[in-house]
Amino acid sequence: EIMAFRNVNRRRHIGLQQLSSLASIGRTLLGPVKSYKFIVDVSTSESALTCSAVRLLESLDLTSAVGQLLNETIQAQNKEYKTGMTTLLFLVGAWSNAVLECLQQNVPLSLVVSVMSEGLNSCSEKVKCLQLSVHDLYKGPKSVPIHFSSRSLGSQITENIPVSKEECFPESLHSHQASPCDPHDRCLNSHLCISDNITPSLVEPVGNKTMPAVLGSSLIASNFNKRTKLTHSRYFNTPEKSHCPLQTDNFGSAPIRPGACPYEFNDFGQLAMALSHGNQSSMKLVQDIFRCQQQIAERKGSSQFNIAEVVTCCLPGLSENYSCVCPGYITLVSPEKATVTKQLRDRPLQILLIDGDLREKYRHLGFNRPSNVSTISESVALQESSSESIWINCALDILIQSKVNLILVKGNVCENLMERCILNNILIINPVTDTVLHAFEKGIGVQLVTYLSQVNSHYVGSGVWVDFWKTLELDNKVPVSIKAEGIHLVTAVLCSTVTSKMQVTEDQFWTCAYRLYHALTDQKVFPGGGAVELLCLSHLQKLEEQSLKQADKYPSGELHMSSCWLTKSLTQYKSVVLKALASGWHQYLSRVMYNTASYESEFEASTFIDHHLKKATDCSSPSSYILKEFNKGIKVMDDVDLSIKQEEALKIYDNVTSKVEAWRRALDLVLLVLQTDAEIITGPKRNQLLNSHTSSEFTFV
Amino acid sequence: MSRIEAKKPSLCTDKPLTKDVVSFSLSVLSGIVKSCYGPTGRLKQLHNGMGGYVRITSQSSALLGGLSVTHPVLNLLTASVKNHISRFSDCGLFTAILCCSLVENFQRINFESSTVTKISRHLLSSCIDYLKSEACGCRLSVDFDSIKTLLSLVRSILASKPACMLNKTEASYISTLILKAFLLTIPHSVETNVVLGKCVIVPVKDKRVMESAVYPGLLIEIPVFQLASIFPVKRVSSSTIKMALFCISLSGDLSNIGDGPVIVHHGISLEVAVLDQLLNLGKQLVNDQVGLVVCQKVIHPSLKQYLKEHRVITIDRVGLSMVEPLSQMTGSQPIAALHSLSPTCYGSLKDLRTENFVSKHFWHLIPNDILVCSLILCNRNEMAWDELKHVCQTAEHVLQLTIKQPLALLGGGCTETHLASYIKHKSSTLSTGILKAIDCSQTQYQLVADAFCRSLECVACCLEHDDGEILTDMVYGHFWSVQSGFPSDCNWSDLVLKCGCGIYNNQRNLNWTVLQRQCIPFIPQSCSNRPSVNATDHLVLDCFTAKCSGLQVAVETANLILDLSYIVEDQN
Repeated sequence: EIMAFRNVNRRRHIGLQQLSSLASIGRTLLGPVKSYKFIVDVSTSESALTCSAVRLLESLDLTSAVGQLLNETIQAQNKEYKTGMTTLLFLVGAWSNAVLECLQQNVPLSLVVSVMSEGLNSCSEKVKCLQLSVHDLYKGPKSVPIHFSSRSLGSQITENIPVSKEECFPESLHSHQASPCDPHDRCLNSHLCISDNITPSLVEPVGNKTMPAVLGSSLIASNFNKRTKLTHSRYFNTPEKSHCPLQTDNFGSAPIRPGACPYEFNDFGQLAMALSHGNQSSMKLVQDIFRCQQQIAERKGSSQFNIAEVVTCCLPGLSENYSCVCPGYITLVSPEKATVTKQLRDRPLQILLIDGDLREKYRHLGFNRPSNVSTISESVALQESSSESIWINCALDILIQSKVNLILVKGNVCENLMERCILNNILIINPVTDTVLHAFEKGIGVQLVTYLSQVNSHYVGSGVWVDFWKTLELDNKVPVSIKAEGIHLVTAVLCSTVTSKMQVTEDQFWTCAYRLYHALTDQKVFPGGGAVELLCLSHLQKLEEQSLKQADKYPSGELHMSSCWLTKSLTQYKSVVLKALASGWHQYLSRVMYNTASYESEFEASTFIDHHLKKATDCSSPSSYILKEFNKGIKVMDDVDLSIKQEEALKIYDNVTSKVEAWRRALDLVLLVLQTDAEIITGPKRNQLLNSHTSSEFTFV
Repeated sequence: MSRIEAKKPSLCTDKPLTKDVVSFSLSVLSGIVKSCYGPTGRLKQLHNGMGGYVRITSQSSALLGGLSVTHPVLNLLTASVKNHISRFSDCGLFTAILCCSLVENFQRINFESSTVTKISRHLLSSCIDYLKSEACGCRLSVDFDSIKTLLSLVRSILASKPACMLNKTEASYISTLILKAFLLTIPHSVETNVVLGKCVIVPVKDKRVMESAVYPGLLIEIPVFQLASIFPVKRVSSSTIKMALFCISLSGDLSNIGDGPVIVHHGISLEVAVLDQLLNLGKQLVNDQVGLVVCQKVIHPSLKQYLKEHRVITIDRVGLSMVEPLSQMTGSQPIAALHSLSPTCYGSLKDLRTENFVSKHFWHLIPNDILVCSLILCNRNEMAWDELKHVCQTAEHVLQLTIKQPLALLGGGCTETHLASYIKHKSSTLSTGILKAIDCSQTQYQLVADAFCRSLECVACCLEHDDGEILTDMVYGHFWSVQSGFPSDCNWSDLVLKCGCGIYNNQRNLNWTVLQRQCIPFIPQSCSNRPSVNATDHLVLDCFTAKCSGLQVAVETANLILDLSYIVEDQN
């Protein structure tokens, strides 16, 4: 109704300060070694464990406009790329501070905007020269070793896999348990399994870790900054850990000397591991999925990583060693349904796919129930309650007549119908995601129905098999697997002994999956370990020098407002703004190095970066210097611990598009907030503001 | 039983403009619109303070739509501006700022409002006459043989809205796309009645701007999970697909049942009856050899199933905005009834394909006569996309206005300062006959004219947001910005670079002065005799039609506001 109006852009920009303090909570999440955070809701005492920027922001109560913008930006990056969100969050903070610094030095705001955005643009162009072609690194699916037996009957093979994996369990469990003293294994697990090395404890926020007041939420964050010395986090290779036939390929068995021949990694496994960024176990699963899909593709003729036909099944409480990949669909069912499963296993089943709820009152989307229709009946016996039982009888008739044994339902199912179906040995699985429904639709060539009244013989599929997936019982639920020939669906079974870590494990799996997916769709990767950021720093230094040299003449057409006096005074401020842009990446690099526990302080890390930066800038071609250093295995981002033998050092790769996009989105957000000078609040909130203690900040119209 | 309450008396306020609350509200509104103006304008966060969607914008339509002003004076102002925007899309901020400045400046001279009104009307008509005359020194004729001027026009509109978050490359890419899309909507053969086609914006959010593209024909997104069930379309002939377009819901609900209570006997199902009707409709469509059924709303799953079994493709939930272009493109009449289909309401398509752009799948509807095109518009997030979409629509509208009246005004503040110089000169050489006709003294006229010019110059000054200083030259009357705090004895030509619209570079003989400082009136020279006008890249241009209207609306509205002597508010 009425509006309130607040001038944001005081001397010190409130919006940027909010942004900077919000982003600062994600600093410890950067890099391969993450400190977990507990998010505790004081009112309900519920808590969540997280180590990703997306989950962290999701759990916060971000009611401020800036907080919401930040959340939207992170969510948009997540929706599109599934990686790069922590980088984005960190850079938002770093660049907000850098811009505030510029404002302190009286740089005109519009100049900050145009120089920063052109500077980033120039860097994004520059780093293209570091892109490595995936084709050079990995010669296509032919080089993916497939260790399935190549007999072509799908259902037999698919049934083989979990069984043979199970046979390997005792050994692998043993090898895992025997290895806590093995430094390599400890390193690997240090960031996967907090129960081993980091003891979570709730710490009251202190010092600069105090939560920003703008959050206004019931959040207590704590940084478990007990630093674990990590020797070589990202490129750690564990050949002895291959405990599954899917994973026993020649990965790791053929010694490769990365220092000697930089571009001869034709092994797919090397590419995948270089993209794992410390989540080897998750990436191994992703690799298995890819192999599994390749095997199916051999018959179908496509060779892409089809991420759209991957689902996860989380089994909290089980040891991580049980994590594996299985063709088909694996899900947990109740004991009653398990009884039906027992009846149905070992024979081909008839399946029905339902795209909605299985309830009497359910209607498809867009169907509006009229409110003014009432039904009258002559006899008292025909009541509302009986209409459901009529519907159930009718439904059951249809199911029995069309000989359906198995139904996948997207939504809810009427309790009574469910019971009757169990009695009639019809297994209903619900809720099932669209991915699963459509994988079956595509695989067995049967279409989805919304109502049972639509069912005829064309809509019932056949040749589906159901079975127990191992003989396990978790929380009174039993995993079952549903398979059919022609189904491309692959389930990643994820296990975690620590139940609260289940979400983290699942997130890490998807992060790895998407990293590999993007690498294969982009067909190019960046050298990781800070190489790209270092080149940006050196490039910005060059631009800065150029701008000082050109002090007497103005670069024409560099700005949107080429006619404005700002163009003329560009040289006066350009180097300050470029320095600010560079400081974002500089802080990023030193924070990552500090987080990987190689450096005692961010300052020490920063000195190391400056050292390499000077070397790079002194070179005639900084990019070739950086590539050379990368190939030598020296990473700015990682420690140069001499105890690591060169042979062990694997490459680290980063995704190209998601990284550059994360930079752009971070800067865009900072610049948007920077250019905002007022908040206009409309609606009923106005009266609350009028009576609040902050009312003096607002203008009421 | 209802109780009858005595009516409250109406509230009457006299001389509303003299009230503090009104002038305060007016100055707040004026502050908001002024701070948003131009390529370096500041942005506003619009939200409800309760976790609702946050819109970051500097667009007048979004601002005025989002602001809810209560005072009648402010309402009058925003309503006029909104009305201008709905007709012309462009120059909304210009209109609002000019109107606010006129009210402020006219109030200051404190004349009888009727005198001010009369004189300002005369000034307005002088302006409009000048702008529309061949002698006008701040306009260019738009040459449709070359895309340069058109591109400058589009680029200027894009550059004026920083919340789109485009960098230079992206801005020129999108400008080209907008122009390309516009050219696709122009008919090939020109008859007496030219009807422009339509450009439909297809939203693709969270993607990079550079992935945007233009395609002839219509693109309708296919949900990922419907891909599996696509089959080849049924054709009447090799190049004709018969199509039916429904603008009512085919979801099988009873939406057209009416208001009163309906009583149904047990055992009778209205739903089944409607579904039967739908299936009959399906039967007729199949009999009539329809290959494609498009529905604005939802199609019942059973009808979809029936049609699919008979190889008829269905596309539902296309939305209201698609109905008009679809009907225009295919010649089909939107069907609004479930029965008695006339065969004349069907339309035809040349081809129907599925295509893959920006990792999404689309139906590509290809008409026989292409006058409809689709602009797949990408931007990195929701709010930047919203802003960009609005700018694209404005630009398209401006191009349409320009094709009707192929003129453009110099942008970047130059038109305002030039016009002010012209009026200053004109009012200093006014004949007594005119003064008599208006019934005012020379001094009165001069004072109102000064206030009028100050308001115009004030609009130009609002382009500067970084404490720069504004100069004008005494030859062309253009707009020049310089860094503030220059020494008083310095040479102006060392400070200036280019004029606001970009047409003139720094020349020694231009004789600058600080804008809004008293100076001797002069006749501003025209730019159109400059030979290189059309050769200059990156001119800043404004839409002629929209700006002329904005000028008129601002002056008329300001007059109306000044003329308010009473406000009567109903308190009930």
